[in-house]
Amino acid sequence: MSDDQRDNEYIDEVEAETGADPVPEPVADGRSDDARAQEAAGRSGMTSEPADQIPANILDQTREGEHPYQWHEGVNREHGSTDAVEFIDVKKSFGRNTVLNGLNFGIPEGQISMIIGPSGTGKSVCIKHMVGLLYPDEGDVLVHGVSVPNMADDDLFEMRKKFGVLFQDGALFGSMNVFDNVAFPLRQHTDKGEEEIGEICNRRLREVGLAGALDKMPNELSGGMRKRAGFARALVLDPQIVLFDEPDSGLDPVRTALLCELIQEVHAENGGAYVVITHDIMSARRVADYLAVLWKGRIVESGPASELFNSPNQFVRQFLSGEARGPLGME
Amino acid sequence: MGSSWLDVPRDWMASLGDIAKFSWRVMAEVFQGRALHFFGETLRQAGILILGSAIVIWGMAFILGLTCGIEAAYFNRALGAPAYAGFFSAWCELREVLPYAFGYMMSAKVGTGLVAEIGAMRISDEIDALEVMGISSLTFLCSTRLLAAWIVLPFMYIAAVGAGFFASYLAVVEQIGEVSSGGYFLIFWMFQNPPDLLYSTIKGMAMATVIVLVGCYYGYTAGGGPVGVGTATAKSMVLNTVLVHVVGMLGTQVFWGTNPRAPIGG
Repeated sequence: MSDDQRDNEYIDEVEAETGADPVPEPVADGRSDDARAQEAAGRSGMTSEPADQIPANILDQTREGEHPYQWHEGVNREHGSTDAVEFIDVKKSFGRNTVLNGLNFGIPEGQISMIIGPSGTGKSVCIKHMVGLLYPDEGDVLVHGVSVPNMADDDLFEMRKKFGVLFQDGALFGSMNVFDNVAFPLRQHTDKGEEEIGEICNRRLREVGLAGALDKMPNELSGGMRKRAGFARALVLDPQIVLFDEPDSGLDPVRTALLCELIQEVHAENGGAYVVITHDIMSARRVADYLAVLWKGRIVESGPASELFNSPNQFVRQFLSGEARGPLGME
Repeated sequence: MGSSWLDVPRDWMASLGDIAKFSWRVMAEVFQGRALHFFGETLRQAGILILGSAIVIWGMAFILGLTCGIEAAYFNRALGAPAYAGFFSAWCELREVLPYAFGYMMSAKVGTGLVAEIGAMRISDEIDALEVMGISSLTFLCSTRLLAAWIVLPFMYIAAVGAGFFASYLAVVEQIGEVSSGGYFLIFWMFQNPPDLLYSTIKGMAMATVIVLVGCYYGYTAGGGPVGVGTATAKSMVLNTVLVHVVGMLGTQVFWGTNPRAPIGG
């Protein structure tokens, strides 16, 4: 199939859905971004936010003639639980680069949630806001109803004990072996004796298949082993909220599937709110109870995974099916 | 808006302000006793300092003492006063050569090591990992290192002074041999007293404190991947070299600027 044929198919499909032309003719009339965005907004009826209120870097990611938030329906489907973490109109910029631009959603308690979206769209920044490593420029982040940006340092450190975080590369301490890495939070935050700490660490390391690597230093481990060791360390204090920053990146499909199984097993055993950031749709299908699709610093749509996989939203459908043609291009 | 010639000095001032603020926070964590919550880590860092730096610092001090002793012996012989060779060791070594040498070695060995170690932790998310475990990374990484330096380095410095003095004695009395041991020590002790050793140690410790804080700052704030860590290491070395001289100059002015504390020349 040629590119033109694929384009025509996509245009027909969207016209049938919305009655609108999703990829209008290129505009070369010298009009401002504002005028073009307002026209597109009027066409889609989804947003009327004027372009001069939308950061330039987000406009740059937008096709000519489309509104940047044309596909952001703002639908936040009921997930049947309370929110462990809430984002309330969060905005965050780094210099001139706006990453989060009015983020609103909640992470449900007791479920495995996945935040998915294109690269560079603010997923990792989202996680850092939850644990207070970054603060919003505007808006608020609530953890169990308490505002993170307004916490005093001591309260923040106390609140962080609720969290376990698995970083992309495990973030193991290079000066400690695997066992000491996993034991570190227990030694710092509990009065447990070495024997009990040993039992807990060995159990966690057995769960992640690293029982034979206790004495290995992080630089002796493969990428997958580092992730698993990081997973064991994230779980060792039985946290109420566990965050996984792209646990599947750099793993082969089988190891990814095994890691997903492990996440489900551990969640079934411990409960709590698990948040997984990923690009991998297969992982989302396997693991997610709840999905939030993030793009251009806002949620396109969020809700129970089963509902989102059947969403009529063109962007959500394109992203969850991994198709080349659709609202998301190389912009 | 175009850049002006004022941008560079303005950036320098901003950086110095950041370093001062950071240093104050690190020292405050030590003075408030928070670093003691991680006393195990403090002892580990003290051990690393002793095992990694003591031999290097003592060895360098010994070599400098030997060199100064040889120069002192021949220079004073040329002046017809070989017995005054001990004056060099007592005066110049204690007050200037050893503090500066200590500062240079600390900058090169400890300061750059801190930037590389903490910077590598920063870019590999280890510092973020500490934070999300509910542990203050500033206290755990920086205040413990400063406290370890304060615990270990005075002893290491005084031992280095001893190594330098011993080397000078060997050069002047045993190697060149134009002055007796008693004659050497008569002049040697005439030109120094315990407060001089205290002042010299204060100079050395002030340099060490500055070097540890600058190293921690550049490591803690490193960014931009491995290249960024390398750049931060180079920057810290440059700043530390400048600050070692500033501290050395201020120390000499304050402690001996108005009173040479010597039986001649005052």
